[in-house]
Amino acid sequence: MNFLVKKFRVVKAVALVTYKEWSAYRTHSMVSIFVGPVYFIVQYFIWSVVYSGKTSLNGMELSQMLTYFGVTTLIGYLTMDFADWNLQMLVRTGKFLTFALRPIHHRFFALSQKIGHRVLGFLFEFLPCLFIFVFIFKINMRPANFGWAIISVALAFLMNLYLNYTIGMTAFWLVQAAGVRRVYLLLQSIFSGGLIPLVFFPGALQKFLLFLPFQYVSYVPAMVYIGRYTLAGVSMPIPQIVGLQAIAVAVTAIISEYIYRLSMKRFTGVGA
Amino acid sequence: MLKKYIRIYIECIKISISTALTYRLNFLLDNFIMLVSNILFPLFTLLIYGSGAEFPNWSLYEVLLIQAVFTMSTGIANILFNGVLWATMRHIIEGSLEIVLIKPVDCLFFLTASTIEFSSIGLFLGGLVIFVVALPYIGPVSILMVLQFIVLFLSGVCVMMGISFIMAATSFKWVGNSRIPEIFESIKYFGRYPQNIFHKVISGFTSFIIPVAMVGYFPAASLLGKADATAFIAILPCFLFAMAGVFLFRHMIRLYEGVGG
Repeated sequence: MNFLVKKFRVVKAVALVTYKEWSAYRTHSMVSIFVGPVYFIVQYFIWSVVYSGKTSLNGMELSQMLTYFGVTTLIGYLTMDFADWNLQMLVRTGKFLTFALRPIHHRFFALSQKIGHRVLGFLFEFLPCLFIFVFIFKINMRPANFGWAIISVALAFLMNLYLNYTIGMTAFWLVQAAGVRRVYLLLQSIFSGGLIPLVFFPGALQKFLLFLPFQYVSYVPAMVYIGRYTLAGVSMPIPQIVGLQAIAVAVTAIISEYIYRLSMKRFTGVGA
Repeated sequence: MLKKYIRIYIECIKISISTALTYRLNFLLDNFIMLVSNILFPLFTLLIYGSGAEFPNWSLYEVLLIQAVFTMSTGIANILFNGVLWATMRHIIEGSLEIVLIKPVDCLFFLTASTIEFSSIGLFLGGLVIFVVALPYIGPVSILMVLQFIVLFLSGVCVMMGISFIMAATSFKWVGNSRIPEIFESIKYFGRYPQNIFHKVISGFTSFIIPVAMVGYFPAASLLGKADATAFIAILPCFLFAMAGVFLFRHMIRLYEGVGG
């Protein structure tokens, strides 16, 4: 119990400081209040004409498609992460040494920072855009099941952190790993479902995507939000896909920890 | 006077090429990644058409042509103007703009010339690849159409220039906000698709107010024989928009107060 209380204190302290630090730049977050709805307007017109004369495409109706894009935008605000960039910067500049010396796992520190940063995202990006989608665009943004939707978004939050952190750790070997990051971000932007629902990809690719971690960042939580999950012809009840998402997060966390231990053996801390 | 400016510009191009050659592996890799990621850019459109749906009255290759032109225009604009925002932002944050202001050349010209960067050539080539792929599938192209295309394409580059300068001017007030480009990226997004899919108010806005339709749609439409009077009327707002960018930047320079950089 004492252990948990101590952990909670650390999360609270780091999250609060991060929140305060980034609050100074809250207008930067508020750029999303303009950008998110503008992208949505483009999607609205695109899909309205694409659906003309059709009731469903790949099993999705127009209203579901619009909800999907609204939801992926909002989930993006809650799960946004730059642990990869941050870790690479710390390793390259040697500043990581100060974290290696602290009696706290750096990934846990990064998680706490992310919580603080995303509370800010919740207030200045998520809530305003949710109101715009619901009250101005009249999009149905009510999740099919609140409980499962919250769990799935929370898991996506962790998944994005673990994946990005693992990519960030390539800096221990490559030092300047910006290229790896760019390739990863490109793949993630396409295969997480942010571009288009994954059911639009060719069948063979969909089967492949079933086994990749990307779908758990955006596509799975969005489909859990809507209330039905299908990929590569595989349909799953919501509790089952959320369970699978939890397993995927746990596996990613274990891999991330394994690579972290290898990294610590490698890190020499020169130049801090 | 003009001769001096041309000479400075040529020198800046030479320096930029030398810089790129110094880190040539990085330069090549950067461009390669950019080229690949931009060939993937029309994926969204491909997947829509792949699922049996379409934009009414637009074939896949016609839409790809719009997106190819858009990417080429973005590539050219990135090479020529993209650095202005980041250079201005850095000078404002560090308080070093005075160093530029005391030089005996126009501040905006100097910032533009000294930040030419060829790292976006991959972007242009990516667009060119899609352009070449789409071209055989569209109808015959006459010389008149090509001339129209060139005029409209250059007008589109003017719009991109205007956007870059307006962004740079914004960074005088909105200090250190690296998300300024996102605002304009989202508006530019309208220029990537056939304008008749949007509501009249929106297409009016994207043709005459912030004429992003000129970046991709109008030049491509001219090659497809679909350019109407609107495309040519929209040329004037493009130049006015570019001028507005220049005036806004100069106005911000006048308001600028050095703080001891």
